[in-house]
Amino acid sequence: MVNPIYIIILSLLAGFLLSIFDKGGRKLSLTVFYSVLTFNVFVIADWFYRFAILGVSTLTINTAGFSAPLSINLQLGMLESFVLLFANLAGLLSAIYLIKKFKESKISSLILYLILIMGVNGLVMTRDLFNMFVFLEILSISTFALTILTKNKKSLSAGFKYMIAGGVASTFFLLGVIFVYYFSGNLNLEFISSNDFTNYGLIGVFLLAIGIFIELKPFPANGWALDVYESVNSGIVAIIAVVNSAAIIFVLYKILPLLPTVYLSVFTGMGIVTYIFSNLVGIRQSNPKRLLGYSSVAQMGLLAASLFYTTKLGVSQNISFLIAGGIFINHFIAKALLFWIAGIVKKNNIKDWSVLRNNIPLLILFGISLLALSGLPPFPGFWAKWEMVKVFVGSKYYIGLSAILVGSLLEAFYLFRWFGYTTKNKLNKETMEQVQFSQIFPIIVFVLILFFTSFWIMTNVYSLNYFNYLPLVAIFGMFLISFLRSKVKAIISIAAVVLYGYFLFPLGMSIQLLFGIIFIIGSGIVIISTINRKNTGKGFYGFLLMMIFGMGNLIIAESFLAFFINWEFMTIAAYLLILRGKRAKIPAIVFITFSLAGAYFILAGFGYMPNIANNGAIINTIGTIKIPLMAMILMIIGFLVKSASFGAHIWIPGAYAEAEDDVTPFFSSMFSKTGIFGIILLAISFIKQTPDFDLFYWLGWLGAISAIVGAFLATFQEDVKKLMAYSSMSQLGYIIVSISLLSHLGWISGLYLTLNHFMFKAMIFIAIAGVIYRTGTRQMYKMGGLIKKMPLSFITVLIGIIAISGVPPLSGFGSKWLLYNSLIEKGWFLQAGVFFFASAVSFLYLYRMIHSIFLGQMKYEHQNIKESPIWYLIPQVIFIIGIMAISMYPNLIIQPLNTIVGNYFNSSIVIDGYNVTSSLGYWNGNMVMYVTMGVFAVPLILLLLINGRTQTVKQFNIVYAAERPESPQTTHFAHNMFSHYYKALGGLTKPRIQSFWNYVSEGTNSLAGLFRQIYSGNGQTYILHIILYIVAIYFIMGV
Amino acid sequence: MDIMIKIFYAIISIIVATVYGLTLGGIVRKIYARAHGRFGPPVWQPFLDIIKTHGKRVSISHGIMFYLGPVFRFAGGLGTYLFIPVIFGSAIFSNFSIAGDLLLVMYFIFFGQLGMALGAGEGGHPYSPIGIARGLSQMTSFEVPFALSVIAIAIQYNTLNITTIVAAQQGGITNWTLFTNPLAVIAAMISLLGMNMHSPFSIVLAPQEIPIGPPIEMNSSFLATLQTNRGLFAAAKLVLFMNLYFGGATNLLIMVIKTFLIYMFSVFVGAAFPRFRPEQSMRFFLKWPTIIGIVAIIFIAYF
Amino acid sequence: MIFALILGFALLLIGIYGMLSQKNLIKIVIGFSIVDTGVHIIIVSIGYLRNRTAPILNSVVDLGKAAQQVVDPIPSVLVLTAIVIGLAVTALMLTFVVELYKKRNSLSIDDYQELKW
Repeated sequence: MVNPIYIIILSLLAGFLLSIFDKGGRKLSLTVFYSVLTFNVFVIADWFYRFAILGVSTLTINTAGFSAPLSINLQLGMLESFVLLFANLAGLLSAIYLIKKFKESKISSLILYLILIMGVNGLVMTRDLFNMFVFLEILSISTFALTILTKNKKSLSAGFKYMIAGGVASTFFLLGVIFVYYFSGNLNLEFISSNDFTNYGLIGVFLLAIGIFIELKPFPANGWALDVYESVNSGIVAIIAVVNSAAIIFVLYKILPLLPTVYLSVFTGMGIVTYIFSNLVGIRQSNPKRLLGYSSVAQMGLLAASLFYTTKLGVSQNISFLIAGGIFINHFIAKALLFWIAGIVKKNNIKDWSVLRNNIPLLILFGISLLALSGLPPFPGFWAKWEMVKVFVGSKYYIGLSAILVGSLLEAFYLFRWFGYTTKNKLNKETMEQVQFSQIFPIIVFVLILFFTSFWIMTNVYSLNYFNYLPLVAIFGMFLISFLRSKVKAIISIAAVVLYGYFLFPLGMSIQLLFGIIFIIGSGIVIISTINRKNTGKGFYGFLLMMIFGMGNLIIAESFLAFFINWEFMTIAAYLLILRGKRAKIPAIVFITFSLAGAYFILAGFGYMPNIANNGAIINTIGTIKIPLMAMILMIIGFLVKSASFGAHIWIPGAYAEAEDDVTPFFSSMFSKTGIFGIILLAISFIKQTPDFDLFYWLGWLGAISAIVGAFLATFQEDVKKLMAYSSMSQLGYIIVSISLLSHLGWISGLYLTLNHFMFKAMIFIAIAGVIYRTGTRQMYKMGGLIKKMPLSFITVLIGIIAISGVPPLSGFGSKWLLYNSLIEKGWFLQAGVFFFASAVSFLYLYRMIHSIFLGQMKYEHQNIKESPIWYLIPQVIFIIGIMAISMYPNLIIQPLNTIVGNYFNSSIVIDGYNVTSSLGYWNGNMVMYVTMGVFAVPLILLLLINGRTQTVKQFNIVYAAERPESPQTTHFAHNMFSHYYKALGGLTKPRIQSFWNYVSEGTNSLAGLFRQIYSGNGQTYILHIILYIVAIYFIMGV
Repeated sequence: MDIMIKIFYAIISIIVATVYGLTLGGIVRKIYARAHGRFGPPVWQPFLDIIKTHGKRVSISHGIMFYLGPVFRFAGGLGTYLFIPVIFGSAIFSNFSIAGDLLLVMYFIFFGQLGMALGAGEGGHPYSPIGIARGLSQMTSFEVPFALSVIAIAIQYNTLNITTIVAAQQGGITNWTLFTNPLAVIAAMISLLGMNMHSPFSIVLAPQEIPIGPPIEMNSSFLATLQTNRGLFAAAKLVLFMNLYFGGATNLLIMVIKTFLIYMFSVFVGAAFPRFRPEQSMRFFLKWPTIIGIVAIIFIAYF
Repeated sequence: MIFALILGFALLLIGIYGMLSQKNLIKIVIGFSIVDTGVHIIIVSIGYLRNRTAPILNSVVDLGKAAQQVVDPIPSVLVLTAIVIGLAVTALMLTFVVELYKKRNSLSIDDYQELKW
């Protein structure tokens, strides 16, 4: 147990003596330097251990033998030690990161660095206002001086601006100190209370607060800080961005009790403004360090806002610590990591970061840091956001809530875009210079701490069920065996999925079972097709399992939190899977932006949710609570994004098309169903509780519009995967409408459609994957006549399209029959009309697909093509068997669905043998099958008997105006097949939604461009900003 | 044993319908010829055509799907017909309507079209897919007013069971859907023009543009199968319309009279109008008939 | 003493005006210095109490009633520290100015705005 004052004493002492030690050689001085930094860490770690684990009470250190207020006193408690532990650790690690620099630089740098760390320690511990000012100045001056550790014109001018701005800010702080003293007669925080300030007295508090607040770089008075972030050495910037900020935010925390409520509100608002605008401006930034600067500024705004707001509301300590602490740690670690990495990569444009691909471990660390900074689970920022949303919703601060979510989205957007550039931009020949251990070591330590903290929060704060860890375990486990061959890993993955399903899934007749079959068994089957992969496919199976387990966990999640984290796991994994595609840079960013936007809607929706009993999966307990309308709307929007409904559909074509071909089946068949699952989840509560507003009526219309729009969009595609992507959108529209019916027949039809869609989309996408694998193109018009070469794939696609289109006798007709019956039964007549139209239009794209690929004239270059690889064929055959089975014996599926849906509605159908009778009509799938087989067999046999003389001719032997065409393959009618329809639709074909989103994105970009104009680069303008900002805040607060 | 009788009845029913349908086709050709000022082929020309094409010495196939195309087409015609109860109250002509309702019939129509489209597609001749693309597009557009009309009568009779619908129309001409729900009938009759593919909606076969379109590569028995189906399928469609909108039929004679008159509607229109361009045809169906259909639904559902 | 307080604020404003209006780096630093001085005067003026003596325990002050006889000593103490800190900051600023001048041969703040947006 070392008195923490020795941190200050020793640092000061060492600081002064370093120049003497340096005479004995740099080795000696460096040893002293690092020993002191290490000493600090150990002292604080020791104290932290005492406070946090042993529960020692807060330590007060009086100086000069007097107690406060006669002397300056320091205080070290749980919080102080927590902040200081991170600060000192970051100080040490950044010093290690800078070791090469420190070996060469003047001794003054070491001294300044030590003094800086000392200043931070003092600033956090002191309870005396004036002393605070002194430490602040010590910190500032040493920081100013360190900005030119790498001396160049940029860092000099940035440093100068920094000094001017910092000087002005601390002037105001000093004025504040003195006024506070004047009105309260005290400088020690223990002896000042907010009651001391009335009317004019508030000026003191105002100046004090604004001085500190300016130091936190609020928008727009923060141009100087951004220049510093951009130009100063990465190791030092890491310190400025995290350690200095941590100390300053802690000062803010200390003076919080003095502030009147109105200040808290205004500062909350200003923090949020900073968060949203900094992130907005960030999207136009291409310099990595400046980008991180915007992000830092934004995070500090968020942290400050959360501090102010929770204080204002008087939220319980645990929650406010979780929020502020989560944001703090998240920002602290992730930002330090990213600045360090930026220092290693040394590229001044994020588009050039592809060079990082030369160093895969570093790339992984980089990815982890980005995920953490984006506030995704399991990292601490996520939990903070989760609690924060609850607090904001609870206090009805909707503007703040939306601003924070929009800000988060913008931040995630530019971070993921950066990651996209890094992973997907062209890799030039240049190699990265050798990374030193001293540079990688701090990064690894911080990443470990990051994971440890995340794990700690998951287990100790939320005590989540063990299966919620599985997505992470999967990715980690696969990482460990990433050296194995792809085939081995595929088999391991299948085994893992099977075991997962076996141990975790309830087998009772329930919706859980149905979705379990789709997510788990379906995945198990589709993985078979990935065995075809040749290389080791590093990362692939990890992401895949993460996604599968994430989806599976949704079904058995026992709390809203568990549901949501798995939702996010799944989304992240999906993003990474999409990103693996060759040209997936833009689709991946569109996907993640839409998905995260959807996720934030869901997050906000969960904020409104009442508590739910924690006994069993929420799908079973959700019926006991009544979901507020607002929550319902928000969450439905989120779910609709995932299932790519009309309005949010623009992410699917790119994501489906550019994802690797054997990955797309997962997206279409399973991943998109998670949105459906979510809607069912909400609907269960909706039907059990009396609703106030028939939300689902409008949802039904949305489903109808999705169905028809999706069908038409699919019709006009040339790219087979885009065509099928839009087909998915259309089919999910059918599912959405039938779920929205909220009737027995409707749900049977919805679940039937879900299962059916799962099977036929999986098999078609796998078949197409095989075709693309062989032909090397996705453009349908570049294929043709492949039926001769790939007959099995043709059969799969044929059965698939019959099942989609609803032509009897296959299972698709059952779904259509159920759908129309349920729609008419419910009285949704016009919707039924729309679905008739949509299902007719689906013939157009289905025929287009099968014709353009398999029929017509073959291309010369495909003359020697082979059938799909066996691994693609196996899952296709399994799905064909599945479809044929439920077509032949519809009871296999209708009976269980009747039971499942019977849990929620009274049965409205009679099942007698194979005869299903609804209130409107009847259908005997089995008999239809036999009749069809009969009417098919009779003409066939007749034709075979009569027409025994048939001779088969070669491909080009056609009656082309009695002439053999010069180049028959050019007669393949495939490109722009439905041009006449396009013409007929006229103005309806304008891509309005696409244009709308283009406007949104361009508008956001322009807005960012507009706002960043305020950062003119002129130091004087920045001072003006600060002054104006202070004046403006002053008037807003109406002191 | 029961099923064997059923099948036996079905065969009778099919033969009757096919013969009737083909004869109808012959009559139509005659009418067209007279409208054009020609003498025209004999009424039994369709039968001659079938026999002749069957008798061709050469029969050419482009592959299995090509071979199966006409089979699909004929199966579609057979199935569609078999799922419709032809004559109200007749055991012989009730076919296999117990297997499913109106929806089944509507969707089974697609079975033949899809199969034929695939078979023709494998033929490798560009006119086939051009014709199919036109046909499918037109199908989607005339399907809209027809579907709306079907929904309207489903609301009206609260069932999708064809037999029940026919039963509800018994007992006098005023009970026919034609009079109880005229808007729905108008919408359906207009879409029937598209279904029958006479001018102005003859864009699929369009002799002068894409000589007979989809079946262009079809020859000998394949073509004969298609020709046979043409008769049966025409009969099936007409019977369906008769059942839904014109009170059905209680005996064969009434069936013949009614379906003949229904058919004459599209024949007269066809003889009088020139052909649309494809996009004009689609626009046509998606405009007024669709609006009439919607009005029919709103009218029947809410007034 | 109200006059000193007004003077202090006046200097503060003049300094700020100087920082905002002068393009020359050295003049900006001087402006900053004036702001600093203004703040120091404000600090001292706040501690001043009429008719009291300096907070030095010498023969003029009765030890028993020292608290009633001297001005508040704390602002005076604070101002000493603040002056020292202000000096350090000013000195550092001037160092930067010198370095900037060496790099670019210009003292106009307008020449140092490459970093922006």
